[in-house]
Amino acid sequence: MPLITLEGVGYRYPEAEPPALVDVSAAIEPGQVILLRGPSGSGKSTLLRCLNGLVPHSTGGEFRGRVIVCGLDTRAHAPRELGAHIGFVFQHPDAQFVLEDVEAELAFGMENLGLPLPLMRKRVEEVIDQVGINHLRRRRIDTLSGGERQRVAIAAALAVHPQALVLDEPTSQLDPQAAEDVLQVVMRLVAELGMTTVIAEHRVERIAPLVDRIWTLDSGVLKDQPPRAALAEGGARPPVVDLALRAGWSPIPLGLRDARVYAQRLPKPPPYPPPRAGEGKAHYPLPRAGEGKAHYPLPRAGEEKAHYPLPRAGEGKAQEGDFREAGAAPVLCRVENLEYRYNGVQAVRRVSLSVRRGQVTALMGRNGSGKTTLLKLIAGLLRPQCGTIQAYARAAYVPQDADALLFASTVEEELRGQPPEVMAPFHAWLRRYPRDLSSGERQQLAIAVVAAQADLLLLDEPTRGLDPQVKQALSAFLRLRAAGRAAVVIATHDVEWAARTADRVLLMAEGKIYADGLPAAVLSDSLVFATQISKLVGGGLLLPDEVPV
Amino acid sequence: MIRHPLAWCAWATAALAAAFIDRNPFLQALLLLIIINVFIPYGAGRRIRIWKIGLALAVVPIIFSVALSRFGTHVLFTLPDIPIIGGRWTVDAAVFGASTGAALLLTVAVLAVLQTTVRSADLVAILPQPFYRAGTTVALALAFAPKTVASLHSIREARQLRGQRAGWRSAPQLLLPLLLTTLERALQYGESLDARGFGSRRRSRYRPLPWSIADLLIVVGSLAAVAAIVLMPPQPYNPYLDLVPGVPTVPSLLAVLLLATPAVTAGLSRMDHAAHHA
Repeated sequence: MPLITLEGVGYRYPEAEPPALVDVSAAIEPGQVILLRGPSGSGKSTLLRCLNGLVPHSTGGEFRGRVIVCGLDTRAHAPRELGAHIGFVFQHPDAQFVLEDVEAELAFGMENLGLPLPLMRKRVEEVIDQVGINHLRRRRIDTLSGGERQRVAIAAALAVHPQALVLDEPTSQLDPQAAEDVLQVVMRLVAELGMTTVIAEHRVERIAPLVDRIWTLDSGVLKDQPPRAALAEGGARPPVVDLALRAGWSPIPLGLRDARVYAQRLPKPPPYPPPRAGEGKAHYPLPRAGEGKAHYPLPRAGEEKAHYPLPRAGEGKAQEGDFREAGAAPVLCRVENLEYRYNGVQAVRRVSLSVRRGQVTALMGRNGSGKTTLLKLIAGLLRPQCGTIQAYARAAYVPQDADALLFASTVEEELRGQPPEVMAPFHAWLRRYPRDLSSGERQQLAIAVVAAQADLLLLDEPTRGLDPQVKQALSAFLRLRAAGRAAVVIATHDVEWAARTADRVLLMAEGKIYADGLPAAVLSDSLVFATQISKLVGGGLLLPDEVPV
Repeated sequence: MIRHPLAWCAWATAALAAAFIDRNPFLQALLLLIIINVFIPYGAGRRIRIWKIGLALAVVPIIFSVALSRFGTHVLFTLPDIPIIGGRWTVDAAVFGASTGAALLLTVAVLAVLQTTVRSADLVAILPQPFYRAGTTVALALAFAPKTVASLHSIREARQLRGQRAGWRSAPQLLLPLLLTTLERALQYGESLDARGFGSRRRSRYRPLPWSIADLLIVVGSLAAVAAIVLMPPQPYNPYLDLVPGVPTVPSLLAVLLLATPAVTAGLSRMDHAAHHA
């Protein structure tokens, strides 16, 4: 008997024209893992909120059909009653905590259910072990990183012993390592506890091998398919699936482990040659013709300073010098020995960097490595405490939280004064309230509002919460801007997107740039910042379409 | 070292009464010393984040008082007939402002102790069942304050990015986006509370809060201090009448000294702990 049943569910938000969900029917058996995917604004969050009754109880609007959760009809039972059966983890780590410290948060749901103290103590200890957060139990919530908060949120949801766990894009606001940690927890729960799980997730690489069904939503219409059939059709899918489809591998591998069997049949690419100081010539592959990437000169023969994929022992920091080839595009921004300190913490240390017209540069590194500070310094939002910044073009900075940039009552009002070519992609939304747009749409609008006419674009985590289609469109937009005489610097954790979009990658740690070079050079030799294809094939190949099959 | 939240509430009430009812500078200085001594053992090395607000609140009344008040006999200097600020600037007005500023600084110091020692979860837990929902709402509102300040910063930064004014004169334009952001966050909190079963049935408590003798001593000391301040009100200090403050009365002095009970009990606990280990 299904644990959750959706029967002809339709939903329309108050005062909204198109319905958010159209005649959705599906069932989830106990122990099943469902991956929910679909473009931004396709109704994923709405569908997940139907499962615990937040839609329509909290949202109002027009609701049709019925959702039965553990035998309870969500129309007749409020979310607080369904809370004992469905654990819910929200997208924003900040939005779900009520109390100050971790242990109090873990117990909050159980206190609401009136559980006796000994049982609460036992369960708190259990979830702490299940989720692996013993080291966090005494910490205050506001001192936790985004990844730690999501793990605490999962633990808090599990503590009430729900029959199903619903996760609404739990990693969309996290860096790769934190996202990996959160997904590890989810995978452990699925593997060890057989927890019934519904997860909306754009990063499908890790989760795809574990799922029983994939639900694909498009404009509110749900397609329920087995994983291989769904991934073969399109949408968000792991790069190994793209490669498998190109190479004609069957059955399609869902993860790296399955794909390795097939990868052995591929022609072995030569190992990527890491240049060393004093070699004088670096052997980096140029971007391939037809990829739409700008061509940058390699370090010249005889040039003492080359770009290194990663620093080697004793060599210190890899050269942060730039593409100094004669006749290269003009420098739009030059930074020399930049330093910045926040409350006694050195956020940026002696950073030197030149950004040239036509370049798309990805700035990568773990949280707190100084990426945002560096962008803000270049944008002029912070004053350097040491060093110089020379900008030869108008700089525009788009912050992580695009919402802060949007406060007009319509999209049209936000775009007032912008040229027609900037407004064109937004014609369908002109009358809409900007904050009603999906996170991907808001991000696009924020970039258009702030950065449309600047020549030096500084974007901070622009792909957070974006679906693959929007990310692809953003990538094309930025490449177009770069081709049109702009320079783009993007602080991002999104390795796959950076590999596709950037023609230069900088890695930062503790305020310093420690690697600088072509994406193939920098990303192929990294464990954390490596694409799935790079892990599978090696040889400086980052993307499925680069692999010879 | 943890004390019962009710004990802290009683102490804070008495400390605020002492700060506002008796403006004698000697007593204000003594009260500040006592508050610092209470903060040190319970603060566990934490920094007071709101000290800048306290200092600003202490200075602003001095500036307003000295610039706007024309009373007092100890003249600092005289400005020509400029509207509002023209005329005699007096030491008396500055001291009057300082007295008000000191009371505000003491208030911030008391709130800093409360912020450090009382968790909103504990405060909510001690509320009687009928007040529980209201109490949680207040706890949430308190949790909102720092996030609202962060939102304000990001909205100001966003305006700067869009080439709009970001100074204090743009404050009215910041209000609407700030209100929208806060409302959105409030809705998210509401959803989270609902999804976690808040208000579904009678709550249980994960952290029972037992009473100790020290808690009892703090409550008794605080009640006695309030009684002394209210029942035997001191001669009010008025710098316009006499710049030099009088000697504090015995009941006032005793009331302020009683507010050191948390520091004394902390010291005794430490001695007891040390003796136990020896």
